[in-house]
Amino acid sequence: MLAGINRVGDLEWEVPIGYVPGMRVPGRFFLSEALSETLEEGAVRQVANVATMPGIVKHSLAMPDIHWGYGFPIGGVAAFDMTEGVISPGGVGFDINCGVRLITTPLAEADIAGRKRELIERLFGAIPTGVGAKSALRVSNKDLNTIMVEGARWAVERGFGTEADLVRCEAEGAISGADPDAVSSKARQRGVPQMGTLGAGNHFLEVQVVREILDPAAAEVFGLKEGQVCFMVHCGSRGLGHQVATDHLRTLEAGLTKYRIRLPDRQLACAPIDSPEGRGYYGGMVCAANYAWANRQVIMHEARNVFAKLFGIEYDGMRLVYDVAHNVAKFERHEVDGKLTEVCVHRKGATRAFGPKSPEIPHEYTAIGQPVIIPGSMGTSSYLLRGTTTAMQKTWGSTCHGAGRVLSRSKVKKEVRGKDVREHLAGEGILVRAHSDAAIAEEAPEAYKPSHEVVRVVHEVGLSAIVARLEPLGVIKG
Amino acid sequence: MGFEELEHTADLRLRVRGATLDEVFAEAGRAIFREMYGPCKDGGVEQTIELEAENLEALLFDYLSELLFITDVENVVFCTFDVNIQGTRLTAVLRGEPFDPDRHAGGTLIKGVSYSGLEIRRDKDGYVVEIIFDV
Repeated sequence: MLAGINRVGDLEWEVPIGYVPGMRVPGRFFLSEALSETLEEGAVRQVANVATMPGIVKHSLAMPDIHWGYGFPIGGVAAFDMTEGVISPGGVGFDINCGVRLITTPLAEADIAGRKRELIERLFGAIPTGVGAKSALRVSNKDLNTIMVEGARWAVERGFGTEADLVRCEAEGAISGADPDAVSSKARQRGVPQMGTLGAGNHFLEVQVVREILDPAAAEVFGLKEGQVCFMVHCGSRGLGHQVATDHLRTLEAGLTKYRIRLPDRQLACAPIDSPEGRGYYGGMVCAANYAWANRQVIMHEARNVFAKLFGIEYDGMRLVYDVAHNVAKFERHEVDGKLTEVCVHRKGATRAFGPKSPEIPHEYTAIGQPVIIPGSMGTSSYLLRGTTTAMQKTWGSTCHGAGRVLSRSKVKKEVRGKDVREHLAGEGILVRAHSDAAIAEEAPEAYKPSHEVVRVVHEVGLSAIVARLEPLGVIKG
Repeated sequence: MGFEELEHTADLRLRVRGATLDEVFAEAGRAIFREMYGPCKDGGVEQTIELEAENLEALLFDYLSELLFITDVENVVFCTFDVNIQGTRLTAVLRGEPFDPDRHAGGTLIKGVSYSGLEIRRDKDGYVVEIIFDV
């Protein structure tokens, strides 16, 4: 482990006050010895920087997929007091409500065996992907206002999905408090043509098979069976979200002197939650988050249609297990000093993992906790877990969001060729479809920490509990 | 003078150099389009932008964010950047070509310009800045 960090548990580490000047609370993160080998000093400094922000409660936290980002580390979680505290786009990121959803199908692996190539090609044809992708969907400016307030519900009312899908989304597919006036004309111009597009980078739609069930009772409640074909969608709020983040980051940065906030990193630009700038960012961020839920709903709908047509299965037989956000700030009620208190929880590259009996999760999941979906890197296992009481106590009901990178994009492009990655994965029965081999190289499995180790740590610390492991069969990428 | 990619695990970190401020801004523009779209040629698309900000870093943030906005909504790819900076005012003439999915679709999507460590410094060769982009 890096110097200056204290061990406080088997897999738990503390960044003491004083690691950087001005820390108000200690930092805390969760990591195994194996994962600590790739921990960057820059990531720890970012945990410490977050601890200097006004009104932070208890700890500046990071999950086991912690890595060096900008502003908050990736995997960073922090809660802020509603009166003393601040809200910051640096704790959310540019891709507001980047998130994942998992959908089951009634198909077994053997049912798609001879037609996997055709399935992947059809999905690639149906869902716009990559840089510059535009949607075939006609969305008016008026639609956009509705989307920003109603989120996934807008899509369902247009026929893209069913009422049952909404219940199975975090926040039921729309956070309240959207303020369309806080979304600039620029953000709107970007949002209109991109509804229903996957985007680029690490975004994907992956066809998977449930390879291993580790918690049969929970898997049954979530609707998963061994050998079952599923698909997973990973994307966010596209250009609309990027522009909302850009616009408000600029306003908040310019306003720092007004509130006499001193920060070690300007990307942590923030404002008191109940200030004009803070309310503006929150209202705009909610609009982008809701757009992202509508976006994933539309993409899921297109994919369901592809499966239904190709395999002659019922649209309604493809059940949404859950949809989780992993870049978002939300007002949530948590226990602080023994009292239920509202705080503003920022999760940047972290997943909400609410435990059993939480009033925020669907009734059908109340007894076991919310589903937590952790995508692996391309070619490696993804996991379905469930939220826990421990997460509620230790991490504001949060857990990891993915494998976490270890190699930069430039390094991985030097070390591997996209064509080799594609051919190697095809040899293992995993078909990858993208616009270019360079895009495949950037996201090669070698660039990521092993997802099983990250998931093992959250399971052992108790931040969430493993339910099932899924293996990839094919993927379409941006 | 040009740009180089520096180590950063999750995002894209570039060091951009120029003999003058105009050149630093022009190179930074060239760098992000290179990352997003690969090679580009002058195909008759031309646009002029004018911006003003409270300091040079804010101007750079606004300028690069504006480029990301324009390419996203107008489906154009720029390859040359004639930048003129007077104080904290900028005029830039951008030239390039329409977005062509066959040639431009395989790159890295840049989501935003980060303020982390954004500081334009003078050195013996002119100006240098390191920029972290969310990708």
